[in-house]
Amino acid sequence: MNVGLTWRLLRGGGRRGMLGTWLTLGAVAVSTALLLFAVAVDFAFAARADRGAWRNPVAAGSRPAVAVEASRHDYVRGREITVVDLAALPGRSPEPPPGLSRFPAPGEVWLSPALADLADRLPAAELAARYPKRAGVLGDEALVHPDELIVLAGRAPDAPELTATRSSDWIVGSQPVKVATLAGEPTEDAEGYQVLALIASVLMVVPLLVFGGAAARLTVARRDQRLAALRLVGATPGQVVAMTVAEAVIVAFAGALAGAVAYALAVPLLSRVRIDGGPWFVADLWPHPLVMAGAVVAVPLLTGLSAVAGLRRVVVSPLGVAKRETPPGMRWVRLLALVAVLAAVPVVSRGDSAGLIAVVIGLAFLSINLVGPWVVGLIGRITAASARRPARLLAGRRLVDDPRSAWRTVSGVALTGFVAGFLGLLSPGTLVGTQDTGHLRVSAPAGRAATVAQEARDRLRHAGVAAAVTTRKDVVVIALKDATRITGDGARREAPDGPLLRAEPAALDRARTALTGLVPGRTPTTQADDEYFGGEILGDIAVGTVVVLSVSFLVAIASAGITAASSVLDRRQTYALLRLAGTPLEVLDRARRAETLIPLAVMGGGAILVGAFCGIPFMITDPNLSGLVTLVVCVAAGFAGVVGAGALSRPLLRSVTADPAPRPD
Amino acid sequence: MNDVLAGRALTKRFGQTVALAGVDMAVRPGEAVAIMGPSGSGKSTLLHCLAGIMRPDAGEVRLEGTRIDDMGERRRSALRRTRFGFVFQFGQLLPELPADENVALPLMLGGVTRAEAVRRAREWFAPLGLGGMEARRPGELSGGQAQRAAIARALVTKPAVVFADEPTGALDQTTGHDTMRLLVEATKHNGASLIVVTHDPGVAGWCDRTVEVRDGVLLAAGARA
Ligand SMILES: Nc1ncnc2c1ncn2[C@@H]1O[C@H](COP(=O)(O)OP(=O)(O)O)[C@@H](O)[C@H]1O
Ligand SMILES: [Mg+2]
Repeated sequence: MNVGLTWRLLRGGGRRGMLGTWLTLGAVAVSTALLLFAVAVDFAFAARADRGAWRNPVAAGSRPAVAVEASRHDYVRGREITVVDLAALPGRSPEPPPGLSRFPAPGEVWLSPALADLADRLPAAELAARYPKRAGVLGDEALVHPDELIVLAGRAPDAPELTATRSSDWIVGSQPVKVATLAGEPTEDAEGYQVLALIASVLMVVPLLVFGGAAARLTVARRDQRLAALRLVGATPGQVVAMTVAEAVIVAFAGALAGAVAYALAVPLLSRVRIDGGPWFVADLWPHPLVMAGAVVAVPLLTGLSAVAGLRRVVVSPLGVAKRETPPGMRWVRLLALVAVLAAVPVVSRGDSAGLIAVVIGLAFLSINLVGPWVVGLIGRITAASARRPARLLAGRRLVDDPRSAWRTVSGVALTGFVAGFLGLLSPGTLVGTQDTGHLRVSAPAGRAATVAQEARDRLRHAGVAAAVTTRKDVVVIALKDATRITGDGARREAPDGPLLRAEPAALDRARTALTGLVPGRTPTTQADDEYFGGEILGDIAVGTVVVLSVSFLVAIASAGITAASSVLDRRQTYALLRLAGTPLEVLDRARRAETLIPLAVMGGGAILVGAFCGIPFMITDPNLSGLVTLVVCVAAGFAGVVGAGALSRPLLRSVTADPAPRPD
Repeated sequence: MNDVLAGRALTKRFGQTVALAGVDMAVRPGEAVAIMGPSGSGKSTLLHCLAGIMRPDAGEVRLEGTRIDDMGERRRSALRRTRFGFVFQFGQLLPELPADENVALPLMLGGVTRAEAVRRAREWFAPLGLGGMEARRPGELSGGQAQRAAIARALVTKPAVVFADEPTGALDQTTGHDTMRLLVEATKHNGASLIVVTHDPGVAGWCDRTVEVRDGVLLAAGARA
């Protein structure tokens, strides 16, 4: 291959040619970094699901049972602790769960590092006294995330914790189950997160692909004049393709490497984002080396393919580019594709296979991308027909002339609008719970409420916690004294056991500690504890929304900047000559702004509506104010970002038109 | 003093290169002057200085007696837009605009309404042999047709002086000659002066006068018989 000639072509554009090359490199780097993130997210949630599986016992069924396992939740200082009770069956010596050097003996407890740390820091009566016989610390293999609070308690197989029935509500815990291994299976909770992560990935990857394609064509667009000239002087199509593709691939490979490095540098920061109760192990966010290598190889390859597609015109007809003929009209078939996908949304969404949902969203996304240029062309026609001033006229004609390029500028924000419309409806408001921490409740075995209540009184008196213990049917209710009444929002709702109270956190944790094991296999909980998971899921959806929107915006703004810059570079000769003839730069700038803002307003708005439409089947609650605020902020930020990114190319316009004698190169 | 445009003692350097070394040149109303000379001799630089595109390092340029070389970029830009017309070698038409709107653009920039600007622009098409090409885009015109559209665009604002830098340099000889004759005739017909850089002695023949530039100085200010 003509590597030497390619290299000279690459450098041959001089300073401005290199600028285009740098822009491409930057764009590919951004896409690669974000692509790695979008992919890593799925692997990260899968890794969490796998590590958490051991606590979700699977019944042995026909296989020989070796152990019995149960789990529930306890709380400290408003944080949740997973409590796992585990016993080897008589005569069996099962493999220990991952992260343990040996199988826990009856009476032993193993704590996660974060819990051990917390137990050492808090007064013993508030936490450490719950775990009298600490035998060891759980390894990372046993933890969903580094901050997780877990206690694994070794029991005898006939211990009451492993024989008494528990609540069957998965939020409260799981029943004792005889298991054949401790491998377990991912919890429903973890699988839910994986579905959400997959949807988030699709929402991030599609705009990335569009952007990456645009970046690849940037190299080609910068060169198509020159290449058409090469073709005119007799280079064979094969040579032209080989040279251009080699150039695009070289640049993209460098960009992909830079992007991988950028992602590596960002991982420590990203690992601090708290989802599902905690931050991430850095290793979770590292894509598998194969994935990493795949991205660094696949991105340049896709770039090369995209370059070939962009070059097809040059190769098919050398005059095609040189003469700049009217491009063929956009086919209305594309509009049909969108309508078909939209029609499928309500039908498909009725099934709840996660993969299917992701596919539908991806298709809706791609079809927005298909109709995008077509609609932009239409907008251009309307703008041009109604224009009275030169800037509008230029903008309109420009949109008609090259709707694809205009679409590339706004597609990021428009697709983000789709995300915002989708999530704006989807994200429910913050759960307003009772927040009551003044009453602990635990249900006693049938008919034993009075005995349990008496023991609770004794234990609390012994621990020096002032409380009134009463019973309601089989439920023992411990009302902490020294608690303050909750006023404000939640206070209007009355709890079944009197006014809502907020207890002193230390007093509450002393009470919890004193009552540990009061009813084997059950945890006394406050109303706030019972509201914990609902609040956590809503919080996680909010965090996920912000992450996806941030990524979409990065893509949108980067692509707006790149397209604006490349459009200046592409028409630098005409712009320069217009300026020589006395055309004010402001007119050209206003035209460039209008050329972005008009389609942005129409397409962004349209995409938000389509996104909202696709989101309706997934709505859990009524749309809420915070969702709408997110949406408005999103639109405002998108406009501001694109205008800002476009404004960045102004100095470029000034500099390319400053040369008084532009020579066609 | 009945020169419409006069440059006096113009000098211009680019680093070590002396592009103009003290040039005097004046044009009378309605006069067509050809500038000839080898490549790199300073023809374009002279044209750019006279047209207020570039500021000379020394010397002065007057349009109808008023100095223009010391004006700020904004005023010179307005002057170029209103009093001068330009024809370049190629690439000056906006590819996305149909021919009539390309020609109407300078009028619209001057505040003429779009309908009126397009109407006035179209009046130029038939006389320049472009009848029926109004809606075509530059990519759909031949090289000669595109240059004629550029001529119309240069003249549509009724400028005092038209500057043309190798306007036929990208055309074959026959088309080049036709185009050049149209340029000279149309300019004269409109009472504008013309300063045209060309390599073609035959083309220079249609002008009133030819000047020769060599290494930044004017050689012969030969008036045409
Ligand atoms: N922008 C510039 N920067 C540096 N040198 C220039 C520039 N423009 C012209 N020159 C130099 O000035 C001299 C005259 O150039 P020019 O006026 O373009 O010549 P001509 O038009 O006669 O071919 C040449 O040596 C050219 O290289
Ligand atoms: Mg020249």
